Amino acid sequence: MAHPSQLGFQDAASPVMEELLHFHDHALMIVFLISTLVLYIIVAMVTTKLTNKFILDSQEIEIIWTLLPAIILILIALPSLRILYLMDEINDPHLTIKAMGHRWYWSYEYTDYEDLGFDSYMIPTQDLAPGQFRLLETDHRMVVPVESPIRILISAEDVLHSWAVPSLGVKMDAVPGRLNQTAFIASRPGVFYGQCSEICGANHSFMPIVVEAVPLEHFENWSSLMLEDA
Amino acid sequence: MMEWVVRGGDICTLLNIFVSVPPEVSESVDMSQPMYWDRVDIPLPDRPYKDVLTDADKSLKQKEKGPWGQLTKEEKIALYRLTFCKTYPEMKQQTAEWKTVMGGIFFFLGFTGLVIWWQSVYVYPPRPRTFDDEWKSQQLKRMLDMRINPIQGFSAKWDYEKGQWK
Repeated sequence: MAHPSQLGFQDAASPVMEELLHFHDHALMIVFLISTLVLYIIVAMVTTKLTNKFILDSQEIEIIWTLLPAIILILIALPSLRILYLMDEINDPHLTIKAMGHRWYWSYEYTDYEDLGFDSYMIPTQDLAPGQFRLLETDHRMVVPVESPIRILISAEDVLHSWAVPSLGVKMDAVPGRLNQTAFIASRPGVFYGQCSEICGANHSFMPIVVEAVPLEHFENWSSLMLEDA
Repeated sequence: MMEWVVRGGDICTLLNIFVSVPPEVSESVDMSQPMYWDRVDIPLPDRPYKDVLTDADKSLKQKEKGPWGQLTKEEKIALYRLTFCKTYPEMKQQTAEWKTVMGGIFFFLGFTGLVIWWQSVYVYPPRPRTFDDEWKSQQLKRMLDMRINPIQGFSAKWDYEKGQWK
């Protein structure tokens, strides 16, 4: 989750998110360089006393300010496409989970081995235990084994929703009648929060997502317990 | 040759050169009234400042056609003022406009502050209990226990051995 007055990204919890962080650093540096250059030019133009009313063309600067943006765009596009294809690589998931968006909660189905399904509702503010996070905690978390490729199939039962967990670098729209697939690997154990990212009605802001990455034995214990409870 | 003509920049020169060019080149006709301006970068306006001359002005203009050494200083100044409204120092003189601008900015900032205060008193609902100091400290402890953002972000800045911020 984000800490108070946080400005940047949350720490990455998956390899893809690490790549995205580094790409963002690269692209933002380019943005700062361009902005500094433009600011310098603006200040220079505004503070000069020189004038020339008879400039009609200049081939040299036209070439520079055509080539330079093209080069900058290529420098941005190459790492971007690299990550895009990296995200789409064939992976061999250890687990497939279905996340279904409802109004206004998520439901998760682990049906690889047994029939495990449960709903995940936000804990209302008045029911929070002291120290819990307002608008982020849920009654049931989506527990996954750490360092395992997870395939997640996302859809919706009524209107558009979107399943997003920023620290894992995952966001995928939940479209009714459509099955969207994405994958992630939780590279460290922990609890990772996200929120519904497509407007879906009155309680769109109140259907968060909590992913808990635990070692495999803990995951097995948890899934057994959940099956007993169901 | 076009560059040479264009760099000269003078419309009269341009038109003269075009006399010897085939007739598909057209003159552009400007039907606007000549304007007067006081501009530091374009020194000579299209018309003099005072173009309706009194009799005294007209006789001064006649005298201007003779040797200029015979003009007195006041007459030279009067002739200048006939043709131009302001002198260069007068054009470049600073105005007090910045005071109006800054005043306006501060006024609207103050007004915005007033609106924000009124909102926080009369519009906003009561704060959720998660903003109480006790809750916030419990929440902070829980965030550290859960190792939220342990790499560079939040928990990375806490020294777990010493129990204090790094």
